[in-house]
Amino acid sequence: MNTNDKRSSPAHEDDIGVVFRKNLGHYTVHANGREIDCSLSSLLHKQLIFPTADPTSLRHTVQDVREIHHVDPVAVGDRVRYVEAEEGRGMIVEVLPRNSKLSRPAPVPSQRVFEQVIVSNADLILPVFTVANPTPKWALLDRYLVSAAAAEIPVLIVINKLDLAWKNPSFDEEIEIYRRIGYPVLLVSAATGEGIEELKQTLHGKQSVMVGKSGVGKTSLLNAIQPGLGQRVRAVGNGKFGKGRHTTTHLEMFELDFGGTLVDTPGIREFGLWNIMADELAYFFPEMAGYIGQCKFGMSCHHDLEPGCAIRKAVMAEAISPYRYQSYMNLRGEL
Amino acid sequence: MKARLATFGDFKCAHCRVIVPSVHLVSGVNNRNHCPYCLWSCHLDLYAAGDRLSACKAPMKPIGLTLKAGRKKYQREARGELMLIHQCTECRALSINRIAADDDSETVLAVFQESLALAHQMHILCEENGIVMLKAGDAKIVYTQLYGYQAEIPMISWA
Repeated sequence: MNTNDKRSSPAHEDDIGVVFRKNLGHYTVHANGREIDCSLSSLLHKQLIFPTADPTSLRHTVQDVREIHHVDPVAVGDRVRYVEAEEGRGMIVEVLPRNSKLSRPAPVPSQRVFEQVIVSNADLILPVFTVANPTPKWALLDRYLVSAAAAEIPVLIVINKLDLAWKNPSFDEEIEIYRRIGYPVLLVSAATGEGIEELKQTLHGKQSVMVGKSGVGKTSLLNAIQPGLGQRVRAVGNGKFGKGRHTTTHLEMFELDFGGTLVDTPGIREFGLWNIMADELAYFFPEMAGYIGQCKFGMSCHHDLEPGCAIRKAVMAEAISPYRYQSYMNLRGEL
Repeated sequence: MKARLATFGDFKCAHCRVIVPSVHLVSGVNNRNHCPYCLWSCHLDLYAAGDRLSACKAPMKPIGLTLKAGRKKYQREARGELMLIHQCTECRALSINRIAADDDSETVLAVFQESLALAHQMHILCEENGIVMLKAGDAKIVYTQLYGYQAEIPMISWA
């Protein structure tokens, strides 16, 4: 394809695809049943500034170019417009508007905090936790739930390693807190296959993403859902807390045979909240939302030390779990 | 009593407004849980010491003294160290806390003296919570724990 052909038929060379994988500046885009290895147009790192003095002017001369500071303008799950340069290779020139995005502050040491979009256009978030080995950290689950609520993406809490239930006698009591709030919980075991069929039914036709710390068995679940994939898995360490080892090192979306896609993510150790204001945090705790505005100081209440706080009263009356309230206070302290 | 509750660091007492350092070298304890000057605390723990799960957060008043159950078989006294009993001013919950090295001894004595005038129901409430509040007959123990075995007990009417 030469340059003249491109000018004469722009509609044919610009195609739309979905980003399935990204690794060190290379993006794998799926379009029309093909895989295209794409690079990124430098335009996606820049914002073109046009003069605004005369909006009716027909001349669109670029007045200025600003660098856009973000970790990566393209996320797995993005629908992108690309230009195919040669067979199987191309360049992403535009990211189409996203329906949803799951973000966190990029965990890179920097004076400015940048947004890192973990996955975009997801229909369902699956926070994956374990009954034991590694010991579940419910505060991390609360972070995922708040982020999902802020992004307006439904969640399904997946508890893996059900076969190790004997190792954690307090597990039933702990997960009951989330069931009572109304979060859907699915107990599965990638080792025995328990609950996998139910998980498959839930994933059918959706673009889902699994998140969780290392060693919870995200990739093992993926292999159990679709055995042909054969993704690499490893046993967790033998330490006291059974910490996982970083086995999956890149983000990738997989097409499921029974319909839908599933994004496997590397173990996430840090998960900060992005673009959530301290005053709106309580709205993302469903059990607290009903008490907002009923405090003595109304909407100004921080639900911390203020007298007559309705949320604190609800915690003391056991209508709200003290563990969830503690998570709320910890998250609020970060914002 | 802590004014800011989120950390285990230094804090300003919300009762007497003094800034309290939480350095181990000064207090002799790892977790400072009351003001060393007025001995007031704050209701922060729910199920276990240090869990910080209570949403009450109301001031806790020192109402009396007790002794920690001793675990050492051959120690000089059958009972352990002196502890403060705190009661939440809002939900009436009771807790016991270690006395820190820099706690004001005179204030501790004053708490003991005031506790002798408490109603019998309060003693029963403490016992229901597994706490044995020290009474007038325990004055010698209190004094020796605060000032040492060589110290003389002044002629004080404890009644």
